[in-house]
Amino acid sequence: MPAGRVLGVIVVALAIAALFNSEAIVRAGEGMKPGTTRDIVLSIGRPLDDVAGAIGFHLPRDGLDLAFGHDPKTASGTELEEGSTSILQKLRRRREAAAQAEYRQPTPKRPLDLFVTGDSEASFVGERLVDQAPRGLLDVETVARNGTALTNPAFFNWELNAKQEMESRNPEAVVMAIGGNDGFNVEVGGELYGPLDPEWQTEYARRVAVVLREMTRNGKRPVYWVPPPTARDDEFNAIYAAQNRAVKEAVRAVPGARYVDVYNTINGGKYSDELTIDGRRVLARQSDGVHFTRDGAILPTRLTLRAMARDYPALGRKAGP
Amino acid sequence: MIFPTIEFAAFFVVVFVLSWALMPHPRAWRPFIVVASYFFYGWVDWRWVLLLTSSSLVNTVAARVIATSPSQLVRRRALIVAIVFDLGLLCVFKYLGFFVTEVDDFLDTLGLGSPLPLLQIVLPIGISFFTFQAISYVVDVYRGDTRAASLGDVAILQSFFPHLVAGPIVRANELLPQLRMPRDPRSVLAGPGLFLVAGGLVKKTVVADELARRVVDPVFNDPLAHSGAEVLLAIYGFAAQIYCDFSGYTDMAIGLALLLGFVLPQNFNRPYLALSLQDFWRRWHITLSRWLRDYLYIPLGGNRHGERRTYRNLMLTMLLGGLWHGAAWTFVIWGGIHGAALSVERWGREHVPGFRLPRWLAWLVTFNVVCLAWVFFRSPNLSTAFDMLGQIGAAGPSPLVTLPMVFLTVAAILVQALPNGWWRQAESWLVARPVAAQGVAFGVLLVISDAAVGQQGVAPFIYFQF
Repeated sequence: MPAGRVLGVIVVALAIAALFNSEAIVRAGEGMKPGTTRDIVLSIGRPLDDVAGAIGFHLPRDGLDLAFGHDPKTASGTELEEGSTSILQKLRRRREAAAQAEYRQPTPKRPLDLFVTGDSEASFVGERLVDQAPRGLLDVETVARNGTALTNPAFFNWELNAKQEMESRNPEAVVMAIGGNDGFNVEVGGELYGPLDPEWQTEYARRVAVVLREMTRNGKRPVYWVPPPTARDDEFNAIYAAQNRAVKEAVRAVPGARYVDVYNTINGGKYSDELTIDGRRVLARQSDGVHFTRDGAILPTRLTLRAMARDYPALGRKAGP
Repeated sequence: MIFPTIEFAAFFVVVFVLSWALMPHPRAWRPFIVVASYFFYGWVDWRWVLLLTSSSLVNTVAARVIATSPSQLVRRRALIVAIVFDLGLLCVFKYLGFFVTEVDDFLDTLGLGSPLPLLQIVLPIGISFFTFQAISYVVDVYRGDTRAASLGDVAILQSFFPHLVAGPIVRANELLPQLRMPRDPRSVLAGPGLFLVAGGLVKKTVVADELARRVVDPVFNDPLAHSGAEVLLAIYGFAAQIYCDFSGYTDMAIGLALLLGFVLPQNFNRPYLALSLQDFWRRWHITLSRWLRDYLYIPLGGNRHGERRTYRNLMLTMLLGGLWHGAAWTFVIWGGIHGAALSVERWGREHVPGFRLPRWLAWLVTFNVVCLAWVFFRSPNLSTAFDMLGQIGAAGPSPLVTLPMVFLTVAAILVQALPNGWWRQAESWLVARPVAAQGVAFGVLLVISDAAVGQQGVAPFIYFQF
């Protein structure tokens, strides 16, 4: 076949794929790091998506998503994007009024059904919870949503996802490890704010509270929020510090929410590639200066287990110092 | 850059057009394809391009010395320098961290503290593949199997983007002669090319990623929480997953190369139909197994120095083949299982003449030995692997054993039994359709593949980490 005809086949195939997958193109663009590639993908994807949506080209893809069992992970008009900060006051009042919930204690015969989720940091935490917890007391299921953040709901909406996951899995407890990809500017009252602005932090606390509310079921289900640890890069560190203050504020407001302080506790809040764990020196961080290695993930995992042991004392038996 | 992404689609359309436009002008085409391949490789981290370039440079100079020097001693030294450099790169980036940690732990157990600095080394994608290609090139020049090539040709041999990241491992005499032959833009092998790309995409997104997400990863993450039925499905599911993941990537690589006018060697030939381990290794990752045979097993002496040495060479070859995948005991045991099984087969052939298992039993034994080895290959550590095996008899509810997952696993294995002729007929039929019809067919396939992946995006190919 002549190269020109092959090019024709490729172009038609890509055009068909782009028209029927225009939503996916926009989502892929939203998930990219800020830069030229993201700008190009979005500047083509958004108008294409408007046209394809108006004609109804989304429908076949929606049907396929249904057939493959994929729930939509973005939506417009959710509270995560458009809600009011009054949710923090409302939830705080509810927390103050509510009695401390009693949770079923895990036994080897009936282990605790634990759902571990979040961004890429959740992977190793979920994996290590299996071997760090007293044997047979946890039934861990881990779903890491790599590259996601609370400040980028156009790529992945955590409120929507939390609702879907809690409905379909109904776990007894949740570990949520997320925050490394946050730092996108957020819009509040028509103004854009960056992570070091107080308005950003209030907005971030609100978003955390919205997601926590979906997960905790009014405090009946404990949720352990594991924020990002210290980072090698000073700029990231400053963002994480501000972000974690916001998470603490949200956790204080939501019944059933627990804050796992990996930022200040691990190595006294000082970043280090190497750490000593159980008397053994290990490389604790990956080369990006943020993610834990599999060995290093023992530390946030043990801190999580320590937090869980306050609700489930049996889990404290093997949780480290 | 990985194949099933928007960035790669845009990149390939541009490269396809420019490559065919420049093809009649080799002096322009060669630097173009090198730059395009470096762009592809450096998309994530441009520093990796420096590594690749230095590898091409050193191996070109060494091959030149080997080809032109009249002194055998000089030729030999040049070969050794090149191999030491190539293996040095591999050792530094792939094994040094593991080695330092192991030595440090050992010194600590002797009460000598932990004196060694722990190293944080990022593994450049594809380093194992382009390093093996470099070694085969200089050895082939030394053996007189191929001519020394220019720096530009060596750079193309190593960096040609379809095979750069995860193979096939291409030999100089397979690719370099093609660079010297004129290519006719009026006769592109579009049928097999497009079919391989589309088939590879479906294998990866519809089969491999689905099995990983729904069965394999959950079970291997926590084997003790799962029943024997789930563990068994995860083991067989992983056999299907790794085949579809790796052969899917290779199919795309070979297909893309065909669309650009180049033929890359076959890497898989229906491996799960093998009736023996020897047969399996003639069908699975063919370009690696022939590399291990020609540049390791035969130089070690092969089967030429008696029975004991033959078994030793088989074991060594497979253990090193395991280590090639990564610095971990799980890979060593994977290689050990294959080495031991190959040795037992060989012993049986030589000492029990006339003994043959029925075909169905030979297939069953071979397939299950391969799957047993996969348990170690997939597990993050040895205790997980033993937990997996120990859990096979465990009773309990099995919510992960669903009809679609069983179907995908079985289909991925059984589809290999379909006659090759059927695929060729389908290719021919499709290529005879009008351009628009072909485009629509492939476009629909792209939509389905993207829908299968869902919002999570394509998982990294398993062989990228090697």
